[in-house]
Amino acid sequence: MLTALWIVITRMVIIMAVMGVLFLAITILNKLVRPKTKKKEE
Amino acid sequence: MAFLLGSGLLGFLHLTWQGVVMMCIGGLLMWLGIAKKVEPVLLVPIGAGCLIANIPLGGAAEAGGFLTVLRQGGIITEIFPLLIFIAIGAMIDFEPFLQRPYTIFLGGAAQFGIFFTFFVAYALGDGWLHVLNFTLKDAASIGTIGSADGPTTIYVASILQTKYLAPIVVAAYSYMALVPIIQPPIIKALCSKAERALKMEVFVGTTPQKVKILFPIVVIIVAGLICPMATPLIGCLMFGNLLRECGVTKSLSDAAQNELSNIVTILLGITVGGMMAGGEFLKPETILVFVLGVVAFGLDTVSGVLLGKLMMVLSGRKVNPMIGACGISAFPMSSRVVQKLGLEANPYNHLLMHAAGSNTAGQIASVIAGGVMIMLTFH
Repeated sequence: MLTALWIVITRMVIIMAVMGVLFLAITILNKLVRPKTKKKEE
Repeated sequence: MAFLLGSGLLGFLHLTWQGVVMMCIGGLLMWLGIAKKVEPVLLVPIGAGCLIANIPLGGAAEAGGFLTVLRQGGIITEIFPLLIFIAIGAMIDFEPFLQRPYTIFLGGAAQFGIFFTFFVAYALGDGWLHVLNFTLKDAASIGTIGSADGPTTIYVASILQTKYLAPIVVAAYSYMALVPIIQPPIIKALCSKAERALKMEVFVGTTPQKVKILFPIVVIIVAGLICPMATPLIGCLMFGNLLRECGVTKSLSDAAQNELSNIVTILLGITVGGMMAGGEFLKPETILVFVLGVVAFGLDTVSGVLLGKLMMVLSGRKVNPMIGACGISAFPMSSRVVQKLGLEANPYNHLLMHAAGSNTAGQIASVIAGGVMIMLTFH
């Protein structure tokens, strides 16, 4: 059962880690590529 | 009479009670699809497959039968779920998610039901109580029902070679159709009317096309490098989305959204139905698999909503906690459920796009969850 508990904890940590990295990647992507309309306004 | 019995011409003389029960279930699924319009695209082929598989002496679901050939060629090889993922990727507009990237955490949190259910199933089986014959891989496959994603469930259960493949797959597809029944009571129990009525800011502007094109490529690289076992699933999903967004493969995108989707849905549906052969399906463990499937769906919803509530507090009530429930994937049923509940609480509360953001994030998270479950093959 300890193995199963270990699996539950590590797998959830891995998922949230992947989500965190994807969040960072998308945030950076959104910052780097700005909408054209905004550029014109600037 | 003896001649007729021996020749196999009279199928009804070979009927078993299990076969009759399964034919009734097949009929019920078709009735739900046709008369009640409950997920007809899935339930009609599944019901028809179930009926065909249980006709005695028909041989469709026996060795060499066409349903067995489809099962071996499409499900055991994991080809059908991967092809469906290309179609799903081509159908999904990730813009609501790209405008609200924080919803990815709701998608991640809403996978908790998978792992809790895995833990419970393993405890009932080889892990502790030994009351059921669930091995570690069986338990993981059962937990994956909570991904609320039929193709992911098929893919993971096939790779983990569970002996409960048929009930797991049927449970996954059945509960997908039952999202509008399973989720509302849980959401209402966790969120007060004032919370359900909470309005969210409308996002103004559109996402640049470059972001939409780069997004699937970035996801393949990031998710693939961190969780390589998820690469086939996430790769096909994002490849389909790239076809949609790149702007130069409209014909391929259309083919993926229509022809590919329809053909594979027919084949997958009838094959899943064909896996519901009486003797193989009607076992006490099947009922447990279905019960655990509901637990997985319910806990996914609970964990998603709880993180939604945390976000609501941290953001100063700018996030409606109900959108956390959409992290379970089940696209787009879950979004519609939250939109409906939001409008019930406040007639001017339109949460659909926010819910869709969380829902599409859940689609990605459920695939990653499937990938990390496949890592159990190392055990």
